[in-house]
This record gives sequence, C-alpha cells and structure tokens, in this order.
Amino acid sequence: MFIVRFLIRRLLQGALIVFLVSALIFTLLRVVPGDPVRLMAGGMAPEALIEEIAQEMGLRDPIYQQFARYMGGVIQGDLGQSFVRPANGAAVGGASFDDSTRAARAEVWDLIAQTVPMTLQLALLSMIFALVIAVPIGVMGGLRPGKWPDRLALYLSSVFISLPNFWLGIVLALLLSVKLNLLPAIGYEGFAYTILPALVLAVEIAPFIIRTLTVSVANVMGQNFIDIAAVRGLTRNQIIFRHALKNSAIPLLNLLGVQFSMLLGGVLVIEFIFDYPGLGRLTINAVMQRDFPLIQGIAIVTAAAFVLINIVVDLCATAIDPRLDY
Amino acid sequence: MARDDVLAGQILLSVRDLTVQAEEDGKSRTILDRISFDLNPSQILSVIGESGSGKTVLARTLASWLSVPLRVTGGAIHFRGEDLISNPKFAKSLSGREIAYIGGNPAGALDPTMTVGAQLVEKLRAVRPDISKSDARDKAIALLKAVKIPAAERRFYEYPFQYSGGMMQRAMIVDALISDPALLIADNITQPLDVTVAAQILKLLRELNSEFSTAILFICSSLPVACDAADEVMVLHDGRVVERQVPAALVDAPQHSYTKGLIKELPTLWAEGKDESGTVKPDVGQPIMSVHGVAKHYETHGKSGWALVQAVRNVQFDVFRGDNFGIVGESGCGKSSLMRLLTGLERPDAGTILFQGENVGEASPKRLRQLRRKFQLVLQDPYGSLPPQSSIGSILEEPLIIHKIGSRAERRDKARAIMAEVGLPDNFYDRLPTGLSAGQRQRLNVGRAMILEPELLIMDETLSALDQTEQGKLLELFQRLQEEHGFTYIFISHDLTMVRQVCSRIAVMYLGETVEVASNERLFFDPGHPYSRALLSAAPTLEKRRYSPEKCLLEGEPPSPIDLPPGCAFANRCPHAFDRCMAETPKLLSRGDHALAACFLNE
Repeated sequence: MFIVRFLIRRLLQGALIVFLVSALIFTLLRVVPGDPVRLMAGGMAPEALIEEIAQEMGLRDPIYQQFARYMGGVIQGDLGQSFVRPANGAAVGGASFDDSTRAARAEVWDLIAQTVPMTLQLALLSMIFALVIAVPIGVMGGLRPGKWPDRLALYLSSVFISLPNFWLGIVLALLLSVKLNLLPAIGYEGFAYTILPALVLAVEIAPFIIRTLTVSVANVMGQNFIDIAAVRGLTRNQIIFRHALKNSAIPLLNLLGVQFSMLLGGVLVIEFIFDYPGLGRLTINAVMQRDFPLIQGIAIVTAAAFVLINIVVDLCATAIDPRLDY
Repeated sequence: MARDDVLAGQILLSVRDLTVQAEEDGKSRTILDRISFDLNPSQILSVIGESGSGKTVLARTLASWLSVPLRVTGGAIHFRGEDLISNPKFAKSLSGREIAYIGGNPAGALDPTMTVGAQLVEKLRAVRPDISKSDARDKAIALLKAVKIPAAERRFYEYPFQYSGGMMQRAMIVDALISDPALLIADNITQPLDVTVAAQILKLLRELNSEFSTAILFICSSLPVACDAADEVMVLHDGRVVERQVPAALVDAPQHSYTKGLIKELPTLWAEGKDESGTVKPDVGQPIMSVHGVAKHYETHGKSGWALVQAVRNVQFDVFRGDNFGIVGESGCGKSSLMRLLTGLERPDAGTILFQGENVGEASPKRLRQLRRKFQLVLQDPYGSLPPQSSIGSILEEPLIIHKIGSRAERRDKARAIMAEVGLPDNFYDRLPTGLSAGQRQRLNVGRAMILEPELLIMDETLSALDQTEQGKLLELFQRLQEEHGFTYIFISHDLTMVRQVCSRIAVMYLGETVEVASNERLFFDPGHPYSRALLSAAPTLEKRRYSPEKCLLEGEPPSPIDLPPGCAFANRCPHAFDRCMAETPKLLSRGDHALAACFLNE
C-alpha cells in the first residue's frame, strides 16, 4: 500500500532529521562560552555551590553522556526542566540562589505546550488572511498576463514586500488600536488579540503567494490541454475552476508549507512587538536567559513540526497530481 | 454542387470562398485564399499540403478556434445550411458537440491531474447536460472498448500519464466521438505516432466512420497516409485548394504541378531499378564495429516500488568498413540507449562492443577519449545540440582544442575547410548559430563531427527534424563525404523510407533486441522476422504493398520494457505466434550472407 509505505519511510526520515537537529543544537549550546549554572544560581552564589549544582545536574559529564541522557528522556516525552523558570509561573528568577521555589522548576514540555496553540492560532489566522488577499489577485493576474490585473498583482506585491513588518506592526497598532480603537494590540486576553499580528504577518506572506500564483496560473493557462478544452466544448468556468486552478495549486502548496513552517518557528519580531504569548516570545526569552533545556525543547518541537508539515504537504500534492512521486 | 443541396441538408459542411488573414504590424498576410469545398455526411476527406499551406488554420477555422492575429476576412462556412461565420455563437455551441476536433499532440491534450474517464464524462456532460453521470460513464466505457483499449473499465479510472501515446490518441478519439458529432476534424493525428500504431489508428478511424457515420476531415502532411485514410484527397498549396480527387486518380493523374512534384519526390520502398550506383559496396572482411550480446538496464522507482527497465537486452550486429548501416525501430525500442552504449557515453551491463577490435565498453576514460576521435556522433535535435552563445567557427574548432590538435591558425583553416565541405558559406565563421535553419544546423553538426577525421559516424535520427527536400540534400552530402573520406555510417532512425534509400545493411530492433539483421534488398523483399514484415506493412507509401497490414499486425501495443513477458517479445502482436513463442525466447540465427533473424519460423 502506497500510503503506508510512504508514511513509514517519511516518518523514519523525519526521526533522523529531528535527532540530528537535537545533536547539533545540544552540542552547540554546550560549547559556547557562559555557564548556565552561574545564571541560574545568580551572580552572588559561591563557587562551591555552583560546582555542586552543576555536578548534581550532570553538567560536568562529557557531552555525549549528557546527550544520551537527554535523548533518553526525549524518547519518553520528557524534554527536561527549564533552568530558570519556576513551575509556579512566577517571574523569571535566578537572582536568589536560596529561593525555595527554585527546586520545583518548570517542565519544558509544559512551557511549550502552553505556547504552541497560541502560535498555531496566529499562524493559521495569518495564513487565512494572506490567502484571502492573495488568491484572487494572483489568479486574476495569471489569467491576464501582461494586462492590468497582472500589473496590479506585481505592484501590490512590490509594495507589500517592501513594508518592514515591525514598522507595519507599529503603524497598524497606532492606527487600528490607538486612534480608531477597533482592535486590541498588546498582550493576549482573547481571540481579538490575534487579529492585528495576523494581519501584519499576512501582508508579509501575501506577495509570495501572489507571485507564485500569477506565474503558475499563467503557465498552466498556456498549456495544451487548457487550449484544447474550449474546442472540446468545456465552458470557461469549467476550464478555470476545475482544471487551471487545480493544476496551479502544487507550487502554491509547497510555498504554503514552507511559509507555515516559518510562521510556527519564527514569528519572533511580531510576537515580541505585540507581546503575544506564543512560541516566538518564549524562544526570545529562552535565548536571552540561556535556558538550554528550553531552547533545545523548542528546537526539537519546531524541527518535528517542519517534518510533519512537509509530509502533509507532499501527501496533499500527490493527491492533487498523481504523477508526483515522493 | 448546387446551393439547393445545402439547403436541403444533403451536404453537411459547405465552405465557400473562405479567406483567413493574419494581421501583424499593420500588414495583413493571406493564409487561406478563397477556399471552397463540400463535405457529405459520413465522408472522409483528406486535406494535404506542406507546412505553411494553411492546413491547420483551416482545421482551426472550422472548429471556431482561431486566435489573434488570425481572422476570417471573407467567405462562409455552412454547417447543415447555417452559416458559422456570421453566427459565432451558434458556431461555439457546435464545438465539442457537433464538430469535434482531435489534435496532433495527444500527450498534452488532457488534464494530467484527472482520470481520463472523469474528463470524458465531464466533456460529454458539458455539451449534453441532460445526460446523467452514470449514463455518460457507460457510454465512455463502451467507446473505449470500441477503440480497442484493453481492459477499458480499468483504464477508465487511470490517469493520462498511464496511457501510451497511441492509447492516448485512442482516448482522444473517444473524447471526440462521445457526443456523437456529425463532423470530426482530425488534425495530423498520426504524426507523433509510430508507424505500426499509426496504421492501427487509421484502420480504427475507418471502422468508426462506417459504424458511427461521422464525416471526417483528415488533415495530414503525408500523401501516402492521406491516400490511405480517405475517400477523397484535397490538396492545399499556398492557402488555395489546387485539386481534389479520389486517391487512386490523384496518384495516377495528378492535375496540378504541385501535386505532380509531390508524387514524384516521394521515395519508394519497392519500386524496381533502385539507384545502386551511389552506394559504396562495403568490404565484407574485418568489421569496423562489432556488437555482441549487448544489454543495458536502468533502475527506476515509482509508486509501486523499484523497477528494472530493460532498455537494451540483446543486440548483435557487425558493421563493415564502408557500410551504411541502419538501425530501425519504433520509439521505446532502445535505439537511443544503444547509441549511448555505442559511443561509450554509458557502459553496457553485458556483452561487448568492439571498435576495430577494441572493447569500447571496457576502455578507460582516457582511452575512450582517444577512441572517440575515430567515431563521432551527430544528434537528432538541430536546436538543442548547438551552444547558442558560441560562434560557428569556435563550435567547429572545439573538438580540435579538446584533442589538442594543431595551432590556432591551423585550426582556423581546418574549420573553414570543413565549412566549405558541408556547404556552409565562409562568412558564417564568426556568426552565432542563432540564424541558421534546421538543415544548416545539421550541416554544422556533421562538420563538427567530421573535423576530427573519424572513420565511423553515428547518426542518431539526424534527418528526422528536416523536411523531405532538405533531407535529400543532406543525404547527397553524406554520400559525397563518404566517397571522399571513406566514412562508415550508422544511421539510427525510425524512418523506413530513409533507411531504404541510403543503407546497405539494416538491423531491426524491437523492445531492446535486434530481431533481424539483413542487407537492404533482403530486408525489404524477404524479411526474416514477422516484426520486420509488420513494420514494412505499416510504412507510409503509395506503392502496392508487398505486405498488407491486416495480415502482418495484430491489434495491440508493445509490452512495457519493465514488465516483459516470457518468450518472444513480439508474440502478443504476431499473427504467426504459436505456443513455443510464449515460452521460449528465439535466438538470432544466421540466414546466410550475414543475415540474421530471431524467429522460430526460420528453423
């Protein structure tokens, strides 16, 4: 059975990719200068205590031993514990080494599980916005190459792509939240808080979709089977909606896969600007706090997400075009 | 015929003074010039003419498929008495329903992402919305059976890429006939197909014509095919109808000078008194190239896992010095894979290729480069085989540079000498190949191959991109070069008439095997393999056939080289096949005088 073989092969490949990513991240984090224990325990902690904590956490073992122990946990679904974040969710600690809450540090898995749905929501919404903006413009442009819809598509994508997202974010926040009071901007207290950052992201993605669509629709419209379809007696609507769009969907699908992966892994600037409690903000904080287990966890989860999205995209592509062979 | 007949509905299609012009840059060029003809119901009319004579424009005009800059500027097309030109909306409503069109490119004619069946149903329901989905499906399957597609129920659910070229053309015939049209316009439909498949399609078209009484306008550029297919042949020249006759009368007594020239130029296969003076008698002694038991397979992987394509399985022949050796076969028979093996571009999995006693298949890369000075290759595609950014002079000199021959000035002189020899004007030396015609490009390709003074030239379909006149000129050039330099040629080709004209000995390939090797005369008059006979029976010619297609070829397609049946590969299409052919593979056996054939009937 094709689908079973496909899934087994791709999931095995994916597992290998995730393993390699983990090994790379793990090693790199440990060879860069800076002792995370010093950060955890605080600048005032005595050297002996730091050494003791480090020994206790196994941070002085050889890297391959640490890695083996870590991967052993990952396989069982345990991504380890944050170095700096307490389980009770209190503010970022570490200044006081004898803080009693430090004993119960937050599980990395929990931290990620809290933020991933938020990012997913943001990513999906911006994807929907982007498609709503880009599909009509892109398809019209592709159907009339060289005419005004094509030029409109080109100009609009040029404008969109030259707007820096941080600038657009701030301007939209000023306009829609501060002046017009239409949408909330900062933080998260409900679905409405997703709309503004999603809009900014959509403007960023839309040009890619427009460009891909105009090119692929124009390309498909020039093909023989479209040309001959009218002589076969099909109506223009049938030709465009049943044949042209379906055939131009593959490049779009691949693009959406890449874009979606990027949205999941790295909407750092936008989440930071809007103080949106997603994976991006979590990543920024983890990096700034040198929270090794958290960085590792995020890396593994996003790598796995990339792999899964790719599998889904390829599966959809084969469903649309049976000639494809992954 | 009188206008009254049109009104009475006797005549299906009546074209009067149809004029089509192309308007470019304010200038208008007449493509079709006052064309008039009538077509009766269930009549087959061939339209023939060279490229540029307006055949395809005529087909498109009738199918209401003209696009800018083409425009109808005069005349009328009456379909069942109603004018299509003055009523484009009516014309549009006919297309796909009453007037069906089949083009010459079946490979790209259907959406690759939908099953053939779904598209047949879609088309029928687009022009006849009153037909239910299941009725449409039943009708499509019935027609797929009528055009002899095996396992039609299963094929209905397959995608276009799972069909071979011939199958796809059958499916397109179904697509055209499914709405029971009164008129079928077949525009060059056999052109991309192999001769045996094309012969089957023609036979099919005639059967369908009598079964469904559809009138057919058969547009084609080959006079023999046109005469084979039709009740009457109409000759188009420079956008005008120059004559119209029944095939036999046309061939016997052509009226117009253009038709006369066309028939005179047509090469013959069996006519007596073949001009033998030009061909150098090969010296049958030590072969210059000796191929024995050569095989090559390629691995592919698809949805069903890994598969082995057996492109070349068992090839055996000797080429003697001064030979014009022909290798013929249809597409997919392994000709091109064999060419790659002969030239050392790839190494065979089994067997030996001896060039002057040295094994090309096992030579070291360095030795191979030295050997290549003595055997050179000329490719099929005149456009893709020349670097567009190099001047003609430097294209010719490059082989000399690669083999480190001569000084700059010597190379330059040599290139100019070669240009003169192949008939390229001297002032082309600094030009880019961009402006060259296909024929000139092939001359340049030949020049590039012969600048190293090789002994053997391998021509892989070198002439198939050229028209008949140009082919003739190049063949003359080849002959002259052979007389002057003593070249030995291997012509790899699908074109039997060309091979008949120039080759002294011929190998016939089928599915990766040489099934027969024989001298020219012997192959055409006494073929030793049923496939050779089938090939001869399907060759387009106006002569009285020595072998009739009905007796030489069974319905069916060649098996796939991935999934070869046991026994003889031709058995499933061979009218003489018996039990042993299905179980055992026949070996090449000598029939005397260096002729070989692989068939049990010769034992």
